[in-house]
Amino acid sequence: MSLIVTRTKMNKYLKILEISLQQEFTYKLNFIMWRIRNIMQVLVFFFLWSSVFQNSNVNYFGYSKEKIIAYAFLLIFVRAIIMSSRSVDVAGIISNGELSNLLLKPINFFKYWITRDISSKFLNIIFSFVEITVLFLILKPEIFVQTNFVNIVLFVASLLIASLIFFSIAMLTSFVPFWIPEISWGAQFLVIVIFVEFLSGAFFPLDVFPTFIQNILKFTPFPYLVFVPIQTYLGNESIQLSLLSLTVGAMWALILLFITKKIWQKGLKVYEAIGR
Amino acid sequence: MKQLVDKFKKYLRVYVKMTTNSFVIWLTRRSAFTIFLIGKIVRYSFYFGFLIFLVKNTNGFAGFSGNQILFFTATYVLIDTLAQFLFRSVYSFRQLVVSGDLDLVLVKPVSPLFRSLFGGADPVDLITLPAIIGVVIYIGSLLSPTILHTTFYILLVINGLVISAAFHIAVLSLGIITTEIDHTVMIYRDLVSIGRFPIDIYKEPFKSLLTFIVPVGVMVTIPAKALIGLVSPLGIISSLIFGLALLFFSIKFWHYALKKYTSASS
Repeated sequence: MSLIVTRTKMNKYLKILEISLQQEFTYKLNFIMWRIRNIMQVLVFFFLWSSVFQNSNVNYFGYSKEKIIAYAFLLIFVRAIIMSSRSVDVAGIISNGELSNLLLKPINFFKYWITRDISSKFLNIIFSFVEITVLFLILKPEIFVQTNFVNIVLFVASLLIASLIFFSIAMLTSFVPFWIPEISWGAQFLVIVIFVEFLSGAFFPLDVFPTFIQNILKFTPFPYLVFVPIQTYLGNESIQLSLLSLTVGAMWALILLFITKKIWQKGLKVYEAIGR
Repeated sequence: MKQLVDKFKKYLRVYVKMTTNSFVIWLTRRSAFTIFLIGKIVRYSFYFGFLIFLVKNTNGFAGFSGNQILFFTATYVLIDTLAQFLFRSVYSFRQLVVSGDLDLVLVKPVSPLFRSLFGGADPVDLITLPAIIGVVIYIGSLLSPTILHTTFYILLVINGLVISAAFHIAVLSLGIITTEIDHTVMIYRDLVSIGRFPIDIYKEPFKSLLTFIVPVGVMVTIPAKALIGLVSPLGIISSLIFGLALLFFSIKFWHYALKKYTSASS
Protein backbone atom coordinates (compact mmCIF):
# COMPACT_ATOMS: atom_id res chain seq x y z
CA MET A 1 0.00 0.00 0.00
CA SER A 2 2.75 2.44 1.05
CA LEU A 3 4.64 1.51 -2.13
CA ILE A 4 1.64 2.58 -4.24
CA VAL A 5 1.42 5.90 -2.34
CA THR A 6 5.15 6.53 -2.84
CA ARG A 7 4.87 5.69 -6.53
CA THR A 8 1.89 8.09 -6.92
CA LYS A 9 3.87 10.83 -5.21
CA MET A 10 6.85 10.13 -7.45
CA ASN A 11 4.64 10.26 -10.53
CA LYS A 12 3.36 13.67 -9.44
CA TYR A 13 6.87 15.12 -9.36
CA LEU A 14 7.90 13.31 -12.52
CA LYS A 15 4.97 15.06 -14.21
CA ILE A 16 6.22 18.42 -12.87
CA LEU A 17 9.67 17.58 -14.22
CA GLU A 18 8.17 16.81 -17.63
CA ILE A 19 6.12 20.02 -17.69
CA SER A 20 9.12 22.09 -16.57
CA LEU A 21 11.21 20.66 -19.39
CA GLN A 22 8.44 21.50 -21.85
CA GLN A 23 8.32 25.04 -20.46
CA GLU A 24 12.06 25.46 -20.94
CA PHE A 25 11.58 24.48 -24.59
CA THR A 26 8.57 26.79 -24.97
CA TYR A 27 10.75 29.82 -24.26
CA LYS A 28 13.61 28.70 -26.51
CA LEU A 29 14.90 32.19 -27.16
CA ASN A 30 15.15 32.92 -23.43
CA PHE A 31 17.09 29.72 -22.91
CA ILE A 32 19.45 30.32 -25.83
CA MET A 33 20.11 33.91 -24.70
CA TRP A 34 20.84 32.69 -21.16
CA ARG A 35 23.37 30.19 -22.52
CA ILE A 36 24.99 32.81 -24.77
CA ARG A 37 25.41 35.12 -21.78
CA ASN A 38 27.05 32.34 -19.77
CA ILE A 39 29.45 31.54 -22.60
CA MET A 40 30.40 35.18 -23.04
CA GLN A 41 31.32 35.51 -19.37
CA VAL A 42 33.48 32.41 -19.58
CA LEU A 43 35.15 33.62 -22.80
CA VAL A 44 36.16 36.87 -21.09
CA PHE A 45 37.63 34.79 -18.25
CA PHE A 46 39.45 32.52 -20.72
CA PHE A 47 41.03 35.33 -22.76
CA LEU A 48 41.91 37.43 -19.73
CA TRP A 49 43.82 34.61 -18.08
CA SER A 50 45.35 33.39 -21.35
CA SER A 51 46.72 36.89 -21.72
CA VAL A 52 48.05 36.92 -18.15
CA PHE A 53 49.69 33.52 -18.77
CA GLN A 54 51.14 34.46 -22.17
CA ASN A 55 54.45 33.13 -20.93
CA SER A 56 53.39 29.55 -20.26
CA ASN A 57 56.28 28.82 -17.87
CA VAL A 58 55.11 31.15 -15.10
CA ASN A 59 52.77 30.42 -12.19
CA TYR A 60 50.40 33.02 -10.79
CA PHE A 61 48.29 32.60 -7.64
CA GLY A 62 49.24 28.90 -7.53
CA TYR A 63 47.94 28.15 -11.04
CA SER A 64 49.79 26.91 -14.08
CA LYS A 65 48.45 27.92 -17.51
CA GLU A 66 46.86 24.48 -17.98
CA LYS A 67 45.07 24.69 -14.64
CA ILE A 68 43.70 28.21 -15.15
CA ILE A 69 42.37 27.17 -18.59
CA ALA A 70 40.78 24.14 -16.94
CA TYR A 71 39.21 26.57 -14.43
CA ALA A 72 37.65 28.51 -17.36
CA PHE A 73 36.19 25.38 -18.96
CA LEU A 74 35.00 24.00 -15.62
CA LEU A 75 33.19 27.28 -15.05
CA ILE A 76 30.85 26.49 -17.96
CA PHE A 77 29.97 23.12 -16.44
CA VAL A 78 29.82 24.23 -12.80
CA ARG A 79 27.73 27.31 -13.57
CA ALA A 80 25.32 25.12 -15.56
CA ILE A 81 24.84 22.86 -12.55
CA ILE A 82 24.84 25.37 -9.72
CA MET A 83 23.45 28.58 -11.11
CA SER A 84 20.75 27.35 -13.48
CA SER A 85 17.72 27.47 -11.27
CA ARG A 86 14.03 28.20 -11.48
CA SER A 87 13.81 28.92 -7.72
CA VAL A 88 14.68 32.54 -8.44
CA ASP A 89 11.13 32.88 -9.87
CA VAL A 90 9.67 32.46 -6.38
CA ALA A 91 10.19 36.16 -5.57
CA GLY A 92 7.96 37.15 -8.49
CA ILE A 93 5.12 34.81 -7.57
CA ILE A 94 5.15 36.02 -3.96
CA SER A 95 5.03 39.70 -4.90
CA ASN A 96 2.24 39.29 -7.49
CA GLY A 97 0.17 36.86 -5.39
CA GLU A 98 0.51 33.89 -7.76
CA LEU A 99 1.87 31.90 -4.83
CA SER A 100 -1.76 31.32 -3.76
CA ASN A 101 -2.30 29.03 -6.77
CA LEU A 102 0.65 26.91 -5.74
CA LEU A 103 -0.42 26.73 -2.09
CA LEU A 104 -3.82 25.33 -3.11
CA LYS A 105 -2.26 22.40 -4.98
CA PRO A 106 -1.50 19.08 -3.24
CA ILE A 107 2.22 19.44 -3.71
CA ASN A 108 5.10 20.25 -1.41
CA PHE A 109 6.39 23.76 -2.13
CA PHE A 110 10.09 22.89 -1.75
CA LYS A 111 9.89 19.59 -3.64
CA TYR A 112 8.07 21.42 -6.45
CA TRP A 113 10.89 23.97 -6.84
CA ILE A 114 13.64 21.38 -6.43
CA THR A 115 12.01 19.38 -9.24
CA ARG A 116 11.86 22.48 -11.42
CA ASP A 117 15.51 23.22 -10.63
CA ILE A 118 16.47 19.68 -11.64
CA SER A 119 14.79 20.13 -15.03
CA SER A 120 16.63 23.41 -15.59
CA LYS A 121 19.95 21.94 -14.50
CA PHE A 122 19.47 18.86 -16.69
CA LEU A 123 18.97 20.94 -19.81
CA ASN A 124 21.80 23.33 -18.97
CA ILE A 125 24.23 20.48 -18.32
CA ILE A 126 23.52 18.98 -21.74
CA PHE A 127 24.09 22.32 -23.42
CA SER A 128 27.23 22.98 -21.37
CA PHE A 129 28.77 19.75 -22.71
CA VAL A 130 28.02 20.82 -26.29
CA GLU A 131 29.47 24.29 -25.64
CA ILE A 132 32.62 22.92 -23.99
CA THR A 133 33.18 20.63 -26.97
CA VAL A 134 32.68 23.43 -29.51
CA LEU A 135 34.90 25.89 -27.61
CA PHE A 136 37.53 23.21 -27.16
CA LEU A 137 37.59 22.62 -30.91
CA ILE A 138 37.80 26.36 -31.68
CA LEU A 139 40.31 27.42 -29.03
CA LYS A 140 42.36 24.19 -28.92
CA PRO A 141 43.69 24.95 -25.42
CA GLU A 142 46.27 23.05 -23.42
CA ILE A 143 44.23 21.94 -20.45
CA PHE A 144 44.66 20.11 -17.15
CA VAL A 145 42.60 16.92 -16.82
CA GLN A 146 42.13 15.33 -13.39
CA THR A 147 42.82 11.60 -13.33
CA ASN A 148 42.66 10.99 -9.58
CA PHE A 149 39.40 9.15 -8.88
CA VAL A 150 39.13 10.48 -5.29
CA ASN A 151 39.29 14.09 -6.50
CA ILE A 152 36.56 13.41 -9.05
CA VAL A 153 34.29 11.79 -6.43
CA LEU A 154 34.86 14.72 -4.05
CA PHE A 155 34.20 17.12 -6.94
CA VAL A 156 30.80 15.49 -7.63
CA ALA A 157 29.93 15.62 -3.91
CA SER A 158 30.91 19.29 -3.70
CA LEU A 159 28.65 20.06 -6.68
CA LEU A 160 25.71 18.47 -4.90
CA ILE A 161 26.40 20.52 -1.76
CA ALA A 162 26.84 23.69 -3.82
CA SER A 163 23.46 23.09 -5.52
CA LEU A 164 21.78 22.89 -2.11
CA ILE A 165 23.51 26.07 -0.92
CA PHE A 166 22.46 27.93 -4.08
CA PHE A 167 18.90 26.65 -3.75
CA SER A 168 18.74 27.98 -0.17
CA ILE A 169 20.24 31.35 -1.13
CA ALA A 170 17.81 31.69 -4.05
CA MET A 171 14.90 30.83 -1.77
CA LEU A 172 15.99 33.14 1.06
CA THR A 173 16.35 36.12 -1.29
CA SER A 174 13.03 35.19 -2.91
CA PHE A 175 11.26 35.33 0.46
CA VAL A 176 12.08 39.03 0.95
CA PRO A 177 8.85 40.10 -0.88
CA PHE A 178 6.82 38.48 1.93
CA TRP A 179 7.77 41.58 3.92
CA ILE A 180 8.80 44.07 1.22
CA PRO A 181 6.94 43.16 -2.02
CA GLU A 182 8.42 46.01 -4.08
CA ILE A 183 11.99 44.70 -3.91
CA SER A 184 11.41 41.26 -5.37
CA TRP A 185 14.24 41.74 -7.89
CA GLY A 186 16.38 44.04 -5.73
CA ALA A 187 17.29 41.42 -3.13
CA GLN A 188 18.26 38.91 -5.82
CA PHE A 189 20.30 41.54 -7.65
CA LEU A 190 22.31 42.30 -4.53
CA VAL A 191 22.84 38.74 -3.30
CA ILE A 192 22.85 36.57 -6.42
CA VAL A 193 24.08 38.93 -9.15
CA ILE A 194 26.65 40.75 -7.02
CA PHE A 195 27.76 38.71 -3.98
CA VAL A 196 27.36 35.20 -5.40
CA GLU A 197 28.94 36.19 -8.72
CA PHE A 198 32.00 37.87 -7.23
CA LEU A 199 32.57 35.92 -3.99
CA SER A 200 31.88 32.42 -5.28
CA GLY A 201 34.81 32.32 -7.68
CA ALA A 202 32.58 32.52 -10.77
CA PHE A 203 34.05 35.84 -11.85
CA PHE A 204 37.69 35.17 -10.90
CA PRO A 205 39.54 32.61 -8.75
CA LEU A 206 39.45 33.73 -5.12
CA ASP A 207 43.21 33.07 -4.85
CA VAL A 208 43.65 36.53 -6.38
CA PHE A 209 42.65 38.02 -3.03
CA PRO A 210 45.23 38.36 -0.23
CA THR A 211 45.24 35.46 2.25
CA PHE A 212 43.41 37.33 5.02
CA ILE A 213 40.44 38.07 2.68
CA GLN A 214 40.42 34.43 1.54
CA ASN A 215 40.32 33.31 5.18
CA ILE A 216 37.36 35.62 5.91
CA LEU A 217 35.53 34.34 2.81
CA LYS A 218 35.91 30.73 3.99
CA PHE A 219 33.53 31.59 6.84
CA THR A 220 30.79 32.54 4.34
CA PRO A 221 28.81 30.10 2.13
CA PHE A 222 29.91 31.75 -1.14
CA PRO A 223 33.24 29.98 -1.91
CA TYR A 224 31.53 26.59 -1.55
CA LEU A 225 29.40 27.37 -4.62
CA VAL A 226 32.04 27.48 -7.36
CA PHE A 227 35.56 27.98 -6.02
CA VAL A 228 35.73 24.94 -3.72
CA PRO A 229 34.30 22.45 -6.29
CA ILE A 230 36.78 23.66 -8.92
CA GLN A 231 39.68 23.58 -6.46
CA THR A 232 38.68 20.04 -5.54
CA TYR A 233 38.70 18.99 -9.19
CA LEU A 234 42.04 20.66 -9.88
CA GLY A 235 43.55 19.01 -6.81
CA ASN A 236 45.06 22.29 -5.62
CA GLU A 237 44.52 21.19 -2.04
CA SER A 238 45.34 17.91 -0.29
CA ILE A 239 42.57 15.29 0.01
CA GLN A 240 42.33 16.07 3.76
CA LEU A 241 41.82 19.78 3.10
CA SER A 242 39.30 19.02 0.35
CA LEU A 243 37.37 16.80 2.78
CA LEU A 244 37.42 19.59 5.37
CA SER A 245 36.09 22.08 2.79
CA LEU A 246 33.41 19.58 1.84
CA THR A 247 32.35 19.21 5.49
CA VAL A 248 32.17 22.98 6.01
CA GLY A 249 30.15 23.29 2.78
CA ALA A 250 27.77 20.55 3.92
CA MET A 251 27.30 22.36 7.24
CA TRP A 252 26.48 25.57 5.41
CA ALA A 253 23.96 23.71 3.26
CA LEU A 254 22.25 22.27 6.36
CA ILE A 255 22.21 25.60 8.21
CA LEU A 256 20.84 27.47 5.19
CA LEU A 257 18.18 24.83 4.49
CA PHE A 258 17.08 25.04 8.12
CA ILE A 259 16.90 28.86 7.99
CA THR A 260 15.04 28.67 4.65
CA LYS A 261 12.35 26.46 6.18
CA LYS A 262 11.97 28.74 9.21
CA ILE A 263 11.74 31.92 7.11
CA TRP A 264 9.21 30.23 4.79
CA GLN A 265 6.99 29.40 7.77
CA LYS A 266 7.26 32.97 9.08
CA GLY A 267 6.66 34.37 5.59
CA LEU A 268 3.48 32.37 5.12
CA LYS A 269 2.05 33.97 8.26
CA VAL A 270 2.43 37.47 6.81
CA TYR A 271 1.57 36.55 3.20
CA GLU A 272 -1.39 38.66 2.04
CA ALA A 273 -1.79 37.44 -1.57
CA ILE A 274 -1.55 41.00 -2.87
CA GLY A 275 -2.77 41.20 -6.45
CA ARG A 276 -5.17 38.24 -6.15
CA MET B 1 17.87 78.93 -36.69
CA LYS B 2 15.28 80.27 -34.25
CA GLN B 3 13.10 77.24 -34.99
CA LEU B 4 15.97 74.97 -34.14
CA VAL B 5 16.65 76.75 -30.85
CA ASP B 6 12.94 76.62 -29.95
CA LYS B 7 12.87 72.91 -30.73
CA PHE B 8 15.94 72.33 -28.58
CA LYS B 9 14.36 74.26 -25.70
CA LYS B 10 11.15 72.26 -26.04
CA TYR B 11 12.99 68.93 -25.92
CA LEU B 12 15.11 70.11 -23.00
CA ARG B 13 11.91 70.96 -21.08
CA VAL B 14 10.43 67.55 -21.95
CA TYR B 15 13.66 65.82 -20.86
CA VAL B 16 13.75 67.66 -17.54
CA LYS B 17 10.09 66.75 -16.95
CA MET B 18 10.61 63.06 -17.81
CA THR B 19 13.75 62.88 -15.65
CA THR B 20 12.00 64.54 -12.70
CA ASN B 21 9.12 62.06 -13.00
CA SER B 22 11.56 59.15 -13.14
CA PHE B 23 13.39 60.36 -10.03
CA VAL B 24 10.10 60.85 -8.15
CA ILE B 25 9.04 57.27 -9.02
CA TRP B 26 12.37 55.96 -7.70
CA LEU B 27 12.04 57.94 -4.49
CA THR B 28 8.72 56.25 -3.76
CA ARG B 29 10.62 52.94 -3.74
CA ARG B 30 13.30 53.90 -1.24
CA SER B 31 14.24 50.37 -0.18
CA ALA B 32 14.75 49.27 -3.80
CA PHE B 33 16.68 52.47 -4.48
CA THR B 34 19.02 51.78 -1.53
CA ILE B 35 19.57 48.15 -2.53
CA PHE B 36 20.44 49.00 -6.13
CA LEU B 37 22.75 51.80 -5.02
CA ILE B 38 24.59 49.48 -2.62
CA GLY B 39 24.71 46.81 -5.34
CA LYS B 40 26.33 49.15 -7.87
CA ILE B 41 28.89 50.45 -5.39
CA VAL B 42 29.80 46.90 -4.30
CA ARG B 43 30.03 45.70 -7.92
CA TYR B 44 32.43 48.49 -8.94
CA SER B 45 34.47 47.97 -5.77
CA PHE B 46 34.82 44.28 -6.65
CA TYR B 47 35.81 45.10 -10.26
CA PHE B 48 38.58 47.42 -9.17
CA GLY B 49 39.57 45.34 -6.14
CA PHE B 50 40.07 42.26 -8.32
CA LEU B 51 42.05 44.18 -10.93
CA ILE B 52 44.26 45.93 -8.39
CA PHE B 53 45.23 42.57 -6.83
CA LEU B 54 45.70 41.04 -10.29
CA VAL B 55 47.93 43.73 -11.79
CA LYS B 56 49.90 44.07 -8.55
CA ASN B 57 50.97 40.44 -8.88
CA THR B 58 51.39 40.30 -12.65
CA ASN B 59 52.71 43.84 -13.37
CA GLY B 60 50.11 44.26 -16.11
CA PHE B 61 49.42 42.07 -19.12
CA ALA B 62 48.79 42.11 -22.89
CA GLY B 63 51.57 44.71 -23.17
CA PHE B 64 49.87 47.22 -20.87
CA SER B 65 51.03 48.41 -17.44
CA GLY B 66 48.89 47.96 -14.32
CA ASN B 67 47.66 51.57 -14.35
CA GLN B 68 46.80 51.35 -18.03
CA ILE B 69 44.72 48.18 -17.42
CA LEU B 70 42.92 49.96 -14.56
CA PHE B 71 42.23 52.90 -16.88
CA PHE B 72 40.61 50.61 -19.48
CA THR B 73 38.25 49.32 -16.79
CA ALA B 74 37.55 52.81 -15.45
CA THR B 75 36.64 53.98 -18.98
CA TYR B 76 34.32 50.99 -19.42
CA VAL B 77 32.60 51.74 -16.11
CA LEU B 78 32.24 55.43 -17.08
CA ILE B 79 30.68 54.77 -20.51
CA ASP B 80 28.48 51.95 -19.21
CA THR B 81 27.17 54.01 -16.29
CA LEU B 82 26.54 57.09 -18.46
CA ALA B 83 24.65 54.91 -20.96
CA GLN B 84 22.56 53.32 -18.22
CA PHE B 85 21.78 56.71 -16.72
CA LEU B 86 20.66 58.13 -20.07
CA PHE B 87 18.96 55.13 -21.69
CA ARG B 88 17.39 53.34 -18.72
CA SER B 89 13.85 53.59 -20.20
CA VAL B 90 14.85 51.07 -22.89
CA TYR B 91 14.63 48.37 -20.19
CA SER B 92 10.90 49.01 -19.70
CA PHE B 93 10.05 49.52 -23.39
CA ARG B 94 8.76 45.98 -23.93
CA GLN B 95 5.76 46.61 -21.71
CA LEU B 96 4.75 49.56 -23.92
CA VAL B 97 4.87 47.35 -27.02
CA VAL B 98 3.08 44.26 -25.70
CA SER B 99 0.35 46.29 -23.98
CA GLY B 100 -0.14 48.58 -26.97
CA ASP B 101 0.58 51.60 -24.77
CA LEU B 102 3.15 52.70 -27.33
CA ASP B 103 0.12 54.22 -29.10
CA LEU B 104 0.02 56.87 -26.37
CA VAL B 105 3.65 57.74 -27.06
CA LEU B 106 3.12 57.86 -30.83
CA VAL B 107 0.22 60.35 -30.67
CA LYS B 108 2.16 62.88 -28.57
CA PRO B 109 3.85 65.87 -30.29
CA VAL B 110 7.30 64.60 -29.28
CA SER B 111 9.58 62.24 -31.18
CA PRO B 112 8.66 58.69 -30.05
CA LEU B 113 12.32 57.72 -30.33
CA PHE B 114 13.31 60.56 -27.97
CA ARG B 115 10.61 59.51 -25.51
CA SER B 116 11.53 55.80 -25.70
CA LEU B 117 15.28 56.35 -25.42
CA PHE B 118 15.49 59.13 -22.82
CA GLY B 119 12.18 58.56 -21.02
CA GLY B 120 13.48 57.47 -17.61
CA ALA B 121 16.92 58.56 -16.41
CA ASP B 122 18.24 56.46 -13.55
CA PRO B 123 19.09 58.37 -10.32
CA VAL B 124 21.10 55.41 -8.98
CA ASP B 125 23.58 55.85 -11.83
CA LEU B 126 23.54 59.62 -11.43
CA ILE B 127 24.64 59.30 -7.79
CA THR B 128 27.53 56.97 -8.66
CA LEU B 129 28.72 59.10 -11.60
CA PRO B 130 30.73 61.76 -9.68
CA ALA B 131 32.76 59.04 -7.92
CA ILE B 132 33.35 57.21 -11.22
CA ILE B 133 34.46 60.43 -12.96
CA GLY B 134 36.78 61.04 -9.99
CA VAL B 135 38.33 57.57 -10.41
CA VAL B 136 38.76 58.11 -14.19
CA ILE B 137 40.47 61.48 -13.60
CA TYR B 138 42.71 60.04 -10.87
CA ILE B 139 43.87 56.95 -12.81
CA GLY B 140 44.08 59.00 -16.04
CA SER B 141 46.36 61.55 -14.34
CA LEU B 142 48.75 58.74 -13.35
CA LEU B 143 49.30 58.13 -17.08
CA SER B 144 50.45 61.77 -17.59
CA PRO B 145 48.41 62.49 -20.75
CA THR B 146 48.91 65.59 -22.93
CA ILE B 147 46.08 68.11 -23.42
CA LEU B 148 45.65 66.86 -27.01
CA HIS B 149 45.32 63.23 -25.88
CA THR B 150 42.86 64.25 -23.17
CA THR B 151 40.77 66.10 -25.78
CA PHE B 152 40.81 63.00 -28.00
CA TYR B 153 39.73 60.92 -25.00
CA ILE B 154 36.75 63.16 -24.21
CA LEU B 155 35.71 63.19 -27.88
CA LEU B 156 35.92 59.41 -28.10
CA VAL B 157 34.00 58.87 -24.85
CA ILE B 158 31.20 60.98 -26.37
CA ASN B 159 31.56 58.83 -29.50
CA GLY B 160 31.24 55.75 -27.27
CA LEU B 161 27.96 57.14 -25.99
CA VAL B 162 26.79 57.72 -29.58
CA ILE B 163 27.57 54.06 -30.37
CA SER B 164 25.77 53.03 -27.19
CA ALA B 165 22.76 55.12 -28.25
CA ALA B 166 22.84 53.35 -31.62
CA PHE B 167 22.86 49.95 -29.86
CA HIS B 168 19.94 50.97 -27.67
CA ILE B 169 17.96 52.24 -30.67
CA ALA B 170 18.58 48.89 -32.39
CA VAL B 171 17.35 47.09 -29.24
CA LEU B 172 14.19 49.25 -29.21
CA SER B 173 13.60 48.52 -32.89
CA LEU B 174 14.08 44.79 -32.38
CA GLY B 175 11.70 45.10 -29.44
CA ILE B 176 8.96 46.41 -31.72
CA ILE B 177 9.51 43.67 -34.30
CA THR B 178 10.02 40.70 -31.94
CA THR B 179 8.58 41.99 -28.58
CA GLU B 180 11.81 40.68 -27.01
CA ILE B 181 13.89 43.26 -25.12
CA ASP B 182 15.12 41.88 -21.83
CA HIS B 183 17.65 39.38 -23.12
CA THR B 184 18.72 41.49 -26.10
CA VAL B 185 19.59 44.39 -23.84
CA MET B 186 21.38 42.09 -21.39
CA ILE B 187 23.40 40.60 -24.24
CA TYR B 188 24.32 44.14 -25.23
CA ARG B 189 25.44 44.74 -21.62
CA ASP B 190 27.51 41.54 -21.66
CA LEU B 191 29.07 42.48 -24.99
CA VAL B 192 30.03 45.91 -23.70
CA SER B 193 31.41 44.36 -20.52
CA ILE B 194 33.88 42.48 -22.74
CA GLY B 195 35.42 45.93 -23.20
CA ARG B 196 36.29 46.23 -19.51
CA PHE B 197 39.64 44.80 -20.57
CA PRO B 198 41.55 46.00 -23.67
CA ILE B 199 40.34 44.05 -26.72
CA ASP B 200 44.00 43.21 -27.38
CA ILE B 201 43.62 40.30 -24.94
CA TYR B 202 41.16 38.55 -27.30
CA LYS B 203 42.44 36.29 -30.05
CA GLU B 204 41.14 35.95 -33.61
CA PRO B 205 38.37 35.61 -34.75
CA PHE B 206 36.95 37.18 -31.58
CA LYS B 207 39.19 40.25 -31.85
CA SER B 208 37.95 41.11 -35.36
CA LEU B 209 34.39 40.44 -34.25
CA LEU B 210 34.77 42.92 -31.39
CA THR B 211 36.36 45.52 -33.66
CA PHE B 212 34.23 45.39 -36.78
CA ILE B 213 30.96 43.53 -36.09
CA VAL B 214 30.22 44.44 -32.47
CA PRO B 215 32.28 47.61 -32.11
CA VAL B 216 33.03 47.28 -28.39
CA GLY B 217 36.62 48.16 -29.21
CA VAL B 218 35.67 51.50 -30.78
CA MET B 219 33.28 52.18 -27.95
CA VAL B 220 35.53 51.45 -24.95
CA THR B 221 39.10 50.41 -25.85
CA ILE B 222 39.89 53.16 -28.42
CA PRO B 223 39.03 56.08 -26.05
CA ALA B 224 41.33 54.68 -23.36
CA LYS B 225 44.07 54.02 -25.93
CA ALA B 226 43.71 57.62 -27.20
CA LEU B 227 44.50 58.98 -23.74
CA ILE B 228 47.57 56.73 -23.54
CA GLY B 229 48.60 58.12 -26.95
CA LEU B 230 48.21 54.90 -28.92
CA VAL B 231 45.66 56.14 -31.50
CA SER B 232 46.58 58.21 -34.57
CA PRO B 233 44.46 61.23 -35.65
CA LEU B 234 43.24 59.12 -38.61
CA GLY B 235 42.12 56.41 -36.17
CA ILE B 236 40.21 59.02 -34.18
CA ILE B 237 38.46 60.48 -37.24
CA SER B 238 37.58 56.96 -38.48
CA SER B 239 36.12 56.11 -35.06
CA LEU B 240 33.98 59.27 -35.05
CA ILE B 241 32.71 58.60 -38.59
CA PHE B 242 32.00 54.99 -37.61
CA GLY B 243 29.97 56.12 -34.57
CA LEU B 244 27.89 58.58 -36.60
CA ALA B 245 27.29 55.99 -39.34
CA LEU B 246 26.10 53.48 -36.75
CA LEU B 247 23.71 56.08 -35.29
CA PHE B 248 22.39 56.89 -38.77
CA PHE B 249 21.68 53.23 -39.59
CA SER B 250 20.10 52.56 -36.21
CA ILE B 251 17.68 55.47 -36.74
CA LYS B 252 16.81 54.05 -40.19
CA PHE B 253 16.16 50.70 -38.50
CA TRP B 254 13.91 52.40 -35.93
CA HIS B 255 11.78 53.96 -38.71
CA TYR B 256 11.56 50.57 -40.41
CA ALA B 257 10.51 48.90 -37.12
CA LEU B 258 7.86 51.55 -36.42
CA LYS B 259 6.15 50.58 -39.67
CA LYS B 260 5.91 47.01 -38.34
CA TYR B 261 4.21 48.09 -35.09
CA THR B 262 0.78 46.47 -34.95
CA SER B 263 -0.63 48.21 -31.86
CA ALA B 264 -1.71 44.78 -30.58
CA SER B 265 -3.63 44.65 -27.27
CA SER B 266 -4.47 48.36 -27.31
